[in-house]
Amino acid sequence: MNVWRVVCAKELRETLRDRRTLLMMVVVPVLLYPVLLIVMEQLFLFGIRNLEAEAARVAVVGEAPAEFLAILEADSAVQVVALDSDPEAAVRSAEVSAVAILNTGPAAEGTREVTLLFNGASDRSMRGQGELRSAVAEWRDSLLAQRLEARALPRSFVRPLAVNDSSIALPEEVGGYALGRFLPLLLVVITLLGAFYPAIDLAAGEKERGTLETLLTAPVPARDIVTGKFVTVALIGITAAALNLTSMILTFQTGALQLTSSIGLVVSLPITSVLVIFLTLVPLAVLFGAIFLGIAVGSSSFKEAQSALTPVYMGVLVPAMLPAFPGIDFGPLLAFLPVAGVSFLFRDLMTGQASFSLGCMVLGSTTIYAALALAFAARAFGSERVLFGGGDEAAEVSREGLWARLFGNKPGADVPVPGQSMMLVALVAVLFFWVGIQMQIRLGEPGVIVSQLAVLLLPALAFVFLGGFDPVRTLSLRRPSANGAVGGLVLILGAMPMVWVLSWLQTFVIPIPWELLEGMQDFITAESGARLAWLLLMLAVTPALCEEMVFRGVLLGGTRSMTPWRMVVLNGLVFGTFHLSTETVIRFLPSAMLGMVVAWAVWRTGSIFVGMLMHLVNNGTIVLVASSTTLRDLFSDAGAPPPLWLLPIAVVLFGSGIHILLRRPVPEEVRRLTLAHET
Amino acid sequence: MVSRTVETQTRMIRFSGLTKRYGPLTAVRDLSLSIAEGEVYALLGPNGAGKTTALRCLATLLAPSEGTASVGGIDVRHDPVAVRRKLAFLAASMGLYERLSARELISYFGRLHGVPKHDLRPRVEEMIELFGIGDFADRLCGRLSTGQRQRVSLARALVHDPPALILDEPTLGLDMLSGQTIYDFIATERTRGKAILFSTHQMYEVDLLASRVGVLRGGRLVAEGSPSELVARTGEMNLARAFYHLITQPLEALR
Repeated sequence: MNVWRVVCAKELRETLRDRRTLLMMVVVPVLLYPVLLIVMEQLFLFGIRNLEAEAARVAVVGEAPAEFLAILEADSAVQVVALDSDPEAAVRSAEVSAVAILNTGPAAEGTREVTLLFNGASDRSMRGQGELRSAVAEWRDSLLAQRLEARALPRSFVRPLAVNDSSIALPEEVGGYALGRFLPLLLVVITLLGAFYPAIDLAAGEKERGTLETLLTAPVPARDIVTGKFVTVALIGITAAALNLTSMILTFQTGALQLTSSIGLVVSLPITSVLVIFLTLVPLAVLFGAIFLGIAVGSSSFKEAQSALTPVYMGVLVPAMLPAFPGIDFGPLLAFLPVAGVSFLFRDLMTGQASFSLGCMVLGSTTIYAALALAFAARAFGSERVLFGGGDEAAEVSREGLWARLFGNKPGADVPVPGQSMMLVALVAVLFFWVGIQMQIRLGEPGVIVSQLAVLLLPALAFVFLGGFDPVRTLSLRRPSANGAVGGLVLILGAMPMVWVLSWLQTFVIPIPWELLEGMQDFITAESGARLAWLLLMLAVTPALCEEMVFRGVLLGGTRSMTPWRMVVLNGLVFGTFHLSTETVIRFLPSAMLGMVVAWAVWRTGSIFVGMLMHLVNNGTIVLVASSTTLRDLFSDAGAPPPLWLLPIAVVLFGSGIHILLRRPVPEEVRRLTLAHET
Repeated sequence: MVSRTVETQTRMIRFSGLTKRYGPLTAVRDLSLSIAEGEVYALLGPNGAGKTTALRCLATLLAPSEGTASVGGIDVRHDPVAVRRKLAFLAASMGLYERLSARELISYFGRLHGVPKHDLRPRVEEMIELFGIGDFADRLCGRLSTGQRQRVSLARALVHDPPALILDEPTLGLDMLSGQTIYDFIATERTRGKAILFSTHQMYEVDLLASRVGVLRGGRLVAEGSPSELVARTGEMNLARAFYHLITQPLEALR
């Protein structure tokens, strides 16, 4: 018998003896949700009845004909009261729910204006308005009938068209549509909740109770322990979701919900759809189980694991909610988006519109993500730092003030640690979003320069100098070698067309914001030499100085303790995200790629000036291409493919740039700071 | 000054220049010692001297930073799983699964240790009898007293009958009676030819059980020998005084 099965059998036995998990796994999905739904519906219906039980107090101001008063009199839902105070005050104080203000009577065939005064923030007042509106409509119809009669015209004279709506959807389909809006989210959340507590219990819980050490003395590879635990967690997640789905369908089918039966919804799912949903739940539960286990095992207590998992939980909710938004069509891109694909597939299965190929994509991609998550969890279980570390990294309480702790130069460190530089970048991004964009709106074009200087460059410099860090090492303020400058230049010349091709390729999956592009086009087109110089200063020189200081200065300088490729990838991702926050999603990938290329060159040469040069060349080229009519005609149709003959040249340049930069070793002082425990 | 016994017996447990660092902190520094079959070795040292770290490295719970250790000739770096098969490891900090009964727990570890299925039930019953667990064998571990838990832990650690035993402060928090169970057990296992390495703060236990003693101080082995040798070498009147001497005198004075 496989060892993992021994582990799994024991974990299941223990878990089933745990009330908390059982509650999450069985009681909540089976009972709470249906009960909650029924209770909510009952409350809703009760509220409506309550509202309708008493007559709405309304008033009429102005000269009201007996005809209208008779209509109101006959309506038992309203009670007309006399009003002696100001109508608005009366509505506000809820003395009456709504007031009909009649203007003076019209000429023979004119239009008489009626104003309905009500409070849009009160259910009671809105009902009063509704009642008045139908009374007024009745009065209008009767006036209209009188006018038609006077002219001997038939009623159809004012009704040249009659529109009849007829939905071709069967009641089951309408039901499925309603169900598909919210049930996918519920299923994903239940799967997640089902896996949440067991994962914490089986990982961090073991550490908290001191049983992990016991378990690890057994001659069992970490792999088998992870597998056993993770199968347990996944099984519980699947069971919870399956129970939830079953009880949900049964709840709807018994017709216990008056709301659905009263509007003629029929809720039923074909058995094949149910089976496919179960099938899809398996990799989803696997994915959640593995991620949760991998994270939870790094925590040393239940509480710590809960807070570590909460961001994941929140992060999962967003893609799971997507099917509830109108107008999002399920396509291949969404099929590959973790969790969202599953959620959409559920929706389509419920509405009976599922496509086989999309279903396969969802199953396939989710399986791949699950496998990756599993590898991550297995790694976490194999690492002694994860197993015996955990808890707060700094075991000592700092006695310094908040400012000193955030930005203070720790003894022996002359460059910031990753957490500090990430914090500065986060701060700068928020500042840019709040303050920088305001500056650009208020000041126009000069605002672009001012915001870059004030919100990017200034905080970066303040951070380095107030924090007491070594400016040369943190910001890589070293004169580049000729080799470095040439290498960087050749590299960026090669990278630009490649990034361009990438930008073009991504338009196949991401819609292009045409208006924005055209606006940009007009904005950066130069009519004169002076205008061109100004554009270059604003869009190339300033960002090359300011953005580089933040991203290749502080961020790169602070993350140097990471492995080089991690440092470079992180730098690109953060750079891309920064451009995402201020502009559109299509800027992310190109910016991230450029960020990585520039970060690598700066790390390699130890000089931020190489980065500035590359940034300047990249942005400057874009401005030049856009401003010259000949070049623009050649290059700038955003939807058309870039001239692909450029690509081989670009690859050669890119390779040469890398080759040139690799010829010199990384300067001693910017090599990775190796910590003693990592040898 | 470290006494070297001639290698006549098989060396079941061996540390060879083992060093373990946690970041800037070096917990164990170049530790070398060996324990023969049928020998009981007591590792002494003040709190934070590196005893637990050294034992955890041997039990393959931690990876050595430098040097290595072996059990029955198997290197902890090469085949940690095989090392664990040859070991029983027991520490006061080790917990029991609270929602399993004592019997289920022992049986679970038996299966993890690869005890064949047909041998498992008699083996578990044997352990239950050996450690007097019978009265509470079907009670959940979460409901057991400290002494009862310690017996279950012993049974858990020994269910696969390994040739080497590592006990990290096995009597911590136990009353006299439960402590005695452990002493009896160590004495029995010694006569069965097991190599036993234990750490403790109780000099009484050392006098009673250990044939050899090693003193750790700041991660370094500063003295090794039989209890009487240590007493003689330090010129103190008993082992407790000798131990105090070894951990308080300047290092140079000990050489």
